[in-house]
Amino acid sequence: MRPSLRLLNLEVQGSRALYVCSVCRQEARPRPIVARQFLRHASSNADSLSERVRRKIWGTDNPPGLKDPYGESLLEKRFGKPKPQQQEESQVEETDELAESSDGLEPGVSYEPATSWHGLERVGHLGGWSDAPPSEADTYGSFGPKKKLYKKGPLSLAAHQAAVEISLMHALNKPLTNVCNVVEHDKSVFKMIWQTKILPNSTNWGEALEYRNENAKKSLFYIFEQIGSAQPETAKPADENAEVEEFEDFEEFEDPSGAASKQAFFGYQDARFKGFLTLPLTDPATKFAFLKRFSQLSGHFFPDNIVSQISTVKQAVDYIQGQLHPKPKKLAEHLENNKRLQAMPNIKIFSKRQTTLHRDDEMGRRKIIESELRARGLLE
Amino acid sequence: MKRLQLQRWSSSVLSAQARTGGRLQHRLYNGIRHQSTASPAAPTANDQLIEEEPLAPSIHPPNSRQSKYQLPSPPVEAARESAKLAALHARLYLPSRLPLETLARSLVDASADPNPKFNNESLATLGHDLLTHYTSEYLICTYPRLPLTVIFAAMYAYVGPKTLAAMAREWGVESAAAPGGEVDPGYLQFKRIPPGADLKPVTGTARPHEDQAHWRKSITSSVVYDNEFGDPVKGPKNPSEQSKQDAQNIKGVTAEQANATFVRAVMGAIYLHAGRPAAKRFFEQHFLSRHLNISDLFNFSQPARDLSRLCARENFEQPVARIISETGRKSRHPVFVVGIYSGQDKLGEGAGASLLEARSRAAVAALKGWYLYSPLNVRVPSSMEEEGAAPWKPVHVDLGEVIV
Repeated sequence: MRPSLRLLNLEVQGSRALYVCSVCRQEARPRPIVARQFLRHASSNADSLSERVRRKIWGTDNPPGLKDPYGESLLEKRFGKPKPQQQEESQVEETDELAESSDGLEPGVSYEPATSWHGLERVGHLGGWSDAPPSEADTYGSFGPKKKLYKKGPLSLAAHQAAVEISLMHALNKPLTNVCNVVEHDKSVFKMIWQTKILPNSTNWGEALEYRNENAKKSLFYIFEQIGSAQPETAKPADENAEVEEFEDFEEFEDPSGAASKQAFFGYQDARFKGFLTLPLTDPATKFAFLKRFSQLSGHFFPDNIVSQISTVKQAVDYIQGQLHPKPKKLAEHLENNKRLQAMPNIKIFSKRQTTLHRDDEMGRRKIIESELRARGLLE
Repeated sequence: MKRLQLQRWSSSVLSAQARTGGRLQHRLYNGIRHQSTASPAAPTANDQLIEEEPLAPSIHPPNSRQSKYQLPSPPVEAARESAKLAALHARLYLPSRLPLETLARSLVDASADPNPKFNNESLATLGHDLLTHYTSEYLICTYPRLPLTVIFAAMYAYVGPKTLAAMAREWGVESAAAPGGEVDPGYLQFKRIPPGADLKPVTGTARPHEDQAHWRKSITSSVVYDNEFGDPVKGPKNPSEQSKQDAQNIKGVTAEQANATFVRAVMGAIYLHAGRPAAKRFFEQHFLSRHLNISDLFNFSQPARDLSRLCARENFEQPVARIISETGRKSRHPVFVVGIYSGQDKLGEGAGASLLEARSRAAVAALKGWYLYSPLNVRVPSSMEEEGAAPWKPVHVDLGEVIV
């Protein structure tokens, strides 16, 4: 038994007043006679020697101070049950308060201790969990895409899509982060988003969009009205897609679960309009919503310190592109990218360690050595 | 005086395809002084070897590791990649008009790459001529009365091969173990003399009765037959014969010779690429700035006799030695101070442990005072090459030493 547990075991031993040190209680060692002085039976009783001395000193039957100045340790105070004497006193004085505070229940809720396990909420399992069918909570859907975006074109597509969606939410005055409920739009919706232009140098997100035509505007408004009003749990992409199909007839329909969906952004290579880069991210709510949607689409995570630094969409895109081209790990690679060193003609950077062999080769000594070795038959 | 268009020259030096017809002749007569009236064999068109030169090494194959080993010297493109070469260029504070390729070429000795289009021989010929020209005119104009032996010694001290080799070492030029295409162009490349080989004295000079070793060689004859330093030099030969011999056995050179050739080639390259003023500046900063105590170069055998002959030649009164002071004549360490007087003028003074020693020291001092005369505001003839130079006033050059 570990010492800490041994200490905690105190309460199992029964009477708290008769404190016995754990070594003695475990009787791990043969108890010497001298050890009896640690037994404090005498000190805890009402007519013990110390109590009698205290009474004599104070001259009263009820001397002030602790009943047992040595008895109660910190551990006992914390884990020990209230002493029967105290309980009696408190019951006498304030029964109601004690009942409330000791249970820790809200007023009005009655607590009835259970006598059997029938009717109790089942927590965990009692074996055979693998036979149970998967529940709804067991299925895992990732927040972001399975693959991160690495190329510049898809990244700007993702940023454009996120910006258009957040702008639509602004225009519709709906909760911004609801756009994250739909991980991937249908191709027709995506094409409408792709064709939507974001006016460059616009500061207001709600008025930044320029739709291709009225039809597209209406359909987008309809779709995002639904996305915005839906609860996060109830919104399902499949439903959205179905509604879109009913609402708008676009040229070709490909199964979203087919070959097209495997390709990110349905094979679109780059954003058509670059106006989204200048959109400001000064409003914290907009910034949060945009970065959330953008990281969901791109698969890249924004650390907190970066989030606080970002103030435009361009900075967010630049950050991810900077992440994709990180600092080289080898010093030689780092130095080779240094333009100042490259411009210096008297500095030569080698990507590999230069050995004596290299130096021999550089000085023309190597061929002499090799020819001598060949002459002696030491080299093929 | 119109300045020469140097850019045309330098392009021919740089490009491998350029014909080096004129310079090749220099190469063949390298080291021959042309001040003697006997002109070397005039080069004829038949003697020119450019046509017979094998073209294979001149067109370097594309860069590959295997082909690099087959080249006799590093390819031209390697000059831009060598950090050593760029560092040397910067260390010498060479003008930026002197490209790294030329500097790389000046580091390739003729013994490493016999092709004159890639070795430094032509540059070294030009540089050698420039160096000796500038040094000799400086010496003669600064000390117009120097004896010829001292001039030879001073020339050797200023631009002799030992000095040039020391300079190359001070410049931080390292030499490659063996020349080759894979060698860094920043190394000095030359074929070394195999260890243990004895360095034979120069034979085949133009001097008549060369085989008579015990015959006296006059100083005046070395003006005609020997090189700038009074050392024997190979006489002119038929160029075709010489080239055949060269091609047959390219002997190695000593490190000293290779280093000296490199420094000369640098001088020639600066002259070609950056022009005459830059070459003169380079000469002053690197060669004339070296301190040389010329009075140490004298070696008199009979100074008293020389002095009396000198006084006779110059129509001075006969020199008379007189004791100025003395101490401890009877002691173990006597000191005599003797002055040499010509009439009322004291020519020199010397102290010695004996009267004879003091007299000869005084005579040496008098002779040195005469020979080491240096005029104020020395101008050299080559200063007239600059535009807008002041009209030339002839400098005083003395008759020279006393011939006893």
